[in-house]
Amino acid sequence: MQAKPIQSPGSAAAARPKPKRELLAYLKTNYDMYLLLIPGLLFALVFNYLPMYGITLAFKDFNMFAGNNPFTSLLASPWVGLEHFENVFGRADFKQALANTLLISVYKLVFLFPLPILLAILLNELRVAWFKKVLQTVLYLPHFLSWAVVSGIFVTLLGSTGIVNQFLDAATGHTISFLMDKSIFRSVLVATDGWKDIGWSSIIYLAAITGIDQEQYEAATVDGASKLQKIVYITLPGIAPTILLLLILKVGHILDAGFEQIFIMYNPTVYEVADIIGTYVYRMGLGQMNFSLGTAVGLFNSVVAFVLIVSANSLAKRFMKKSIW
Amino acid sequence: MRTTRGEQVFNVVNIVVLFILGLTTLLPFLHVLAKSLSSQVAISLGQVTFLPVDFQIGTFQYVLEQEQFVGSFRNSVIVTLVGTVLALTMTVMIAYPLSKPKLKGRKFFMLVFVFVMLFSGGMVPNYLLYKTFGLVNTLWALIVPGMLSVFNILLVKTFFEELPESVEESARIDGANNFTILFRIVLPMALPVMAAVGLFFAVAYWNNYFSAVLYITKPDLKPLQMYLYELISQTTPEMGMELDADRMMNVDPESIRAATIMLSTLPILCLYPFLQKYFVKGITIGSVKG
Repeated sequence: MQAKPIQSPGSAAAARPKPKRELLAYLKTNYDMYLLLIPGLLFALVFNYLPMYGITLAFKDFNMFAGNNPFTSLLASPWVGLEHFENVFGRADFKQALANTLLISVYKLVFLFPLPILLAILLNELRVAWFKKVLQTVLYLPHFLSWAVVSGIFVTLLGSTGIVNQFLDAATGHTISFLMDKSIFRSVLVATDGWKDIGWSSIIYLAAITGIDQEQYEAATVDGASKLQKIVYITLPGIAPTILLLLILKVGHILDAGFEQIFIMYNPTVYEVADIIGTYVYRMGLGQMNFSLGTAVGLFNSVVAFVLIVSANSLAKRFMKKSIW
Repeated sequence: MRTTRGEQVFNVVNIVVLFILGLTTLLPFLHVLAKSLSSQVAISLGQVTFLPVDFQIGTFQYVLEQEQFVGSFRNSVIVTLVGTVLALTMTVMIAYPLSKPKLKGRKFFMLVFVFVMLFSGGMVPNYLLYKTFGLVNTLWALIVPGMLSVFNILLVKTFFEELPESVEESARIDGANNFTILFRIVLPMALPVMAAVGLFFAVAYWNNYFSAVLYITKPDLKPLQMYLYELISQTTPEMGMELDADRMMNVDPESIRAATIMLSTLPILCLYPFLQKYFVKGITIGSVKG
């Protein structure tokens, strides 16, 4: 233990220059850091914060031709208060979209959340090194394919003349229109999302498993624990914090039911079961040029999502001591 | 160590289960590849499963001769290259200052960027902004939306924070300023994370179709994924007519779709081996941040 050098109060005060001078000196040596930040800040200001002003659309009766461009038109349009919101919440198709969003999200959560955990455990137990490597390469790949490609693959597989229906036809004599049938379409959404991302999602659990102290397994082996017991009593508790963290964050994103996927895979025959808030905003707002209505729905979505994500993150911070930012 | 009988059973079952899972992932892809390389007759007779029947590459030739396909491919290449370079530059410029714990106002700047990740104006205000700035129907409308990725900024920032402070300190004593340190010392050390994030950006740009749905209506500006999207959904009446004409030319529409899918995936498949080296580390740093 080293004794701290004792400073007299007087010398400390003398060593500290006046705050303003300090700031100037600081900026003089570090101004380049701020220069680096400027383009990014400007970009965010223009392309991320400026559209936030556009939210006023939700409270205005937007007239595209009130000004020379959309921005001046927005300024010139009259305020209407909460009219659009009252209108939106009374619409059956909006309620349907909201219900679909929640339903599809919950289906995906229930069916797709546990699978990557199981997969990571199975992969971890795999002792054949080359097979494990090949398998991981194969399982991660679909994550990097675009939804256009994935959708193309499944249209080819599940279409009316696709290989699955050829097989069904030969085996049972009738076919299933997977992409047109309201009672099946959601299952198709869940299954294809699983196909694309289960492998990728397992990475994080695999990393967590690697972090478990190996001595625990050795001790358990000495005590005569079976493989299953080791998984249940060592591996699962070991990755429980990661599981809980990801679960909390997933719940925070519950209003995002997979917009890109649904937009590319759905069609008018299944709107009733597949139309989610994102696709609804697109069709109402941009498709039918109903800008104010679209913005109102979008705002509702953004605000609820914001609250959910921030609460999820603070939960994660509080209980897991981890957060995404 | 001796394996017990129960463990042997477990291992066998495990291998079988994972093998089936691997097949489930791979076979749909192989089926599409097989279709793209099979003759029209074999496809319409339903003989194609996972291997090409009556092997031919005519469909690929046909697709590559389509002006719209070549144009879309070129657009996607341009957007991916320009976008990745710009996005990567911006990511470093934001992440480096933010990685300095002593930077005054760091908390505020962090908040400015993190807020962007959490809240946005939404689809309609964004569209109107792009329209106001005249970005609609330009390739910039495809580049701009992907340029600011807060997730990637956090990833790079975390990496910078973990670099040894002492190296920078000694350079500073030798009289290097922040720029020199960034370019001569930090970036060369950060090459792996640059590669990872660069590839993430490239994949995102290559795969993006929705910006095009929103902002592009001119056929000659459409990127490849949108071309593919239209081919799959066949929403436009012209597309149907085109396909009828194709049928007369003895090229199967299913086969065309399959070949287009394969060709749009090709760049990803070429990048994939490089990607794989980096992404595991990348995602581990990025998602479990203290």
